[in-house]
Amino acid sequence: MDWSRRQVLWAGGGMGAAALLTACGGGDRARSSGSGGKPRKGGTLRIGALGRSSAITRDPHGTQGNESDYLVIALVHDTLTAPGLKDNTVGRLASSWKPSKDLTTWRFTVAKGATFHDGTPVTADDVVWSLRRLRNTPAGAARLPGIKADHITAEGKDTVVLVSDFANAELPLLTRLSTFVLKKNTPDKDIAEAPGTGPFRLDWYRGGNARLLRNAHWHGGPVHLDAIEVTMFESPQAMANALMSGQIDVASNAGAVAARTAAARKDIQVVRRPNDMAMPLVMRTSGGPFADPGVRAAMKLIVDRKAMVRQVLSGYGTVANDILGTGDPDYATSIPQRHRDLARARKLLKDAGFDFSRTYELVTTEDVPGLAESATLFASQAREAGIKVKVVKQESGTFYQKTWLKGDFYTNYWGTNDSVVFFASKTMTTGSGQNEADWSDEAFDAAYHKVLATPGPKARTAALHDLQQIEYDRSGYLLWGMADGIDLAAPAVHGLPQLPGYGRVQLENVWLAR
Amino acid sequence: MTGTTTRPAEAAVRPVAASATRRAGLLALRGAAVLGKRLLMLLVLLAVVFAAIELLPGDAASATSERGEGAAGLAARRHLLGLDRPVWERFADWITALPTGGLGTSARGERVTDLLAAPLPNTVLLGGTAFVLTVLAALAVGLGASARPRGIVDRVVDLTSTAGFALPEFVVSIGLLLVLSLWTGWLPAATVTGADGAPATWSMLVMPVLALTVPQTGWNTRIVRAALADQAATPHVEAARLDGLSTGRILLRHALPGAWPAIATGIATSTGMLLGGTVVVETLFNYPGIGTVLAGAVADRDTPVIAAVVACAAALITVVLLLADLVRARTLGARS
Repeated sequence: MDWSRRQVLWAGGGMGAAALLTACGGGDRARSSGSGGKPRKGGTLRIGALGRSSAITRDPHGTQGNESDYLVIALVHDTLTAPGLKDNTVGRLASSWKPSKDLTTWRFTVAKGATFHDGTPVTADDVVWSLRRLRNTPAGAARLPGIKADHITAEGKDTVVLVSDFANAELPLLTRLSTFVLKKNTPDKDIAEAPGTGPFRLDWYRGGNARLLRNAHWHGGPVHLDAIEVTMFESPQAMANALMSGQIDVASNAGAVAARTAAARKDIQVVRRPNDMAMPLVMRTSGGPFADPGVRAAMKLIVDRKAMVRQVLSGYGTVANDILGTGDPDYATSIPQRHRDLARARKLLKDAGFDFSRTYELVTTEDVPGLAESATLFASQAREAGIKVKVVKQESGTFYQKTWLKGDFYTNYWGTNDSVVFFASKTMTTGSGQNEADWSDEAFDAAYHKVLATPGPKARTAALHDLQQIEYDRSGYLLWGMADGIDLAAPAVHGLPQLPGYGRVQLENVWLAR
Repeated sequence: MTGTTTRPAEAAVRPVAASATRRAGLLALRGAAVLGKRLLMLLVLLAVVFAAIELLPGDAASATSERGEGAAGLAARRHLLGLDRPVWERFADWITALPTGGLGTSARGERVTDLLAAPLPNTVLLGGTAFVLTVLAALAVGLGASARPRGIVDRVVDLTSTAGFALPEFVVSIGLLLVLSLWTGWLPAATVTGADGAPATWSMLVMPVLALTVPQTGWNTRIVRAALADQAATPHVEAARLDGLSTGRILLRHALPGAWPAIATGIATSTGMLLGGTVVVETLFNYPGIGTVLAGAVADRDTPVIAAVVACAAALITVVLLLADLVRARTLGARS
């Protein structure tokens, strides 16, 4: 049971520009995943997704600990917007959105012809009710930051108005994740079976497993599959076995270990979705041994990124450059890639008066595969630079209580690889709720506010570049690499989602060649 | 000679003095005492479970929280789950609701009875089938080996039963998976359930059952074999042999009846081991039982769920142990 509760939601999120890579597969792999062939109508897709029976939830606005539940919910209910390939954010239940001049007020238009599965049209009132319900959950403030519940209102039948406490050019991006829309005033007891607006409607759900049927009247266009059967798996290995013995067609988010097993099989597509999960090392910037920017820069020079990707991720990933949000179309590829340079690192450490006699603790968890391994490997790499690093493994709950947001040096992971600004606003601006490195940098804050308040795309990209340069230079994040999201699929499956994070649950374009 | 004078064991089983009613009364009293003792043990066990989870790092509120959840939200949920109250108070609440069938609410707000409604029958089906199979197999193999002590069969059984018992369930499971599913494609590798929550086809039960049965049969065979060996040394079996009765008749009619108490007790203990094994086997075969619920609940520090699973398992084991006691009592009667 090497799969963990937090993985799903947060191994989830986000988007990024991504090219689909099929590492191996059968003869018709070239036609797979939207790269060709004429979609065929019909068939039942059997898909496996990870989940734990103890964590089952049916509430679209609850804590979805299970990937399987999230998948079912995302197929039945639409979010306002969704991750896109070329544009970071594309419409889903909202067909368009427009900001006010000062970027604080946003008007979303509900897509024409959008109806619930029982045939009733979707109104702005339904959306407002759903967003308020979401906002009022325990994690609501983090899910819709800067938007108070009573600042979500309806204007006419099809316009939803969101007023942010501050200028926020990225507000539509925030509505991509869990803004599932239900009918107004759906009682809590009926939530599980409530009609949604998504491409599939629920046939039955039982203990994490479900059968979904095509919604022929979906506002988003034609849906190819007749039905989707979701099977929940407790372990990635059991899921991979089920795929290899032909019991399921897709093993969703199966992970690197399962991919390695499947790589030997010619009849299985290994679908890699790059930029899926960040696994940074976090250094406390406000005190302790890493408060000196020189020390942090040195640590970033000590890590052997290629070795990390090769050993920790089994090669299923890419080297990163200490900037979070690698999947963002505006990610600054012009900033030079940091490489290992022990000589320069030693000089920086000496200049900073770094204490080489001490042993530094690096706290980690086993929440996601490879996380603890990344700490161990880094510790051995640091030893080559003369720094003694001791890895301390903590149980997940303890970690989030004692170390996260507080520790001097720890590992962490983010599946919500949304955008550069997403990470900046959540984890790096002064006083942000999840400022993991307790970082406060005037220039960075200024750059951030400039980005948010800049409407023009060109000027905005320039401002974003400045922000990323500062993050690269001084932040408390050592981001050595990005793990791929990995799905396994039978050869007959085509049109699988190509996006990292939450993009993976959009199965309306999938079709079967059989 | 006929058996009547040469079967002291049988004579002991039916003490002439004890009338039927008196025996029934004694049995009932004895049963009540045993039941009381077992209930007290269950109470202690559940208290230990509550205390143990309390000692684990983290609690249900933090374990089931979302990353974005603030300290205030966490504190509110802690209050909602009653985690701000002392552990003995929560235990008292939970245990007093138990007799009425109330198993409490999980950390995620589900009723525990709902959580266990589907997986429990599945586990009982899996464990029950494995139990019946292991008993039949152990008896057959044990009797077979006892037919010719120190013969080839006996020695092979001796070796393989030890090996079988030494094999952990996950090793057996992986071996079965490789051979019966991934290489030959004969059986489905994982369990897929239908709308009713039960495995879609019976063939999905074969490997999980086998994975549980093989190690247990190793254990039970040794018990059967040892019990029969003990009986073989008793005077009445010796006498039967001298009488020239057939080996089969001696084993079945003379040795086995006396061996029952030892066999029943030994096999009853394998109930616990079978239930323990389901945690592993269910995960490997994606079998939807309480083993997986338990594993998840431990990760969640979800005390009511863990305690409920423990209580269910304990109840099952208690029933089987009581049955074993009954067999002992019937066989040994006043002798015990």
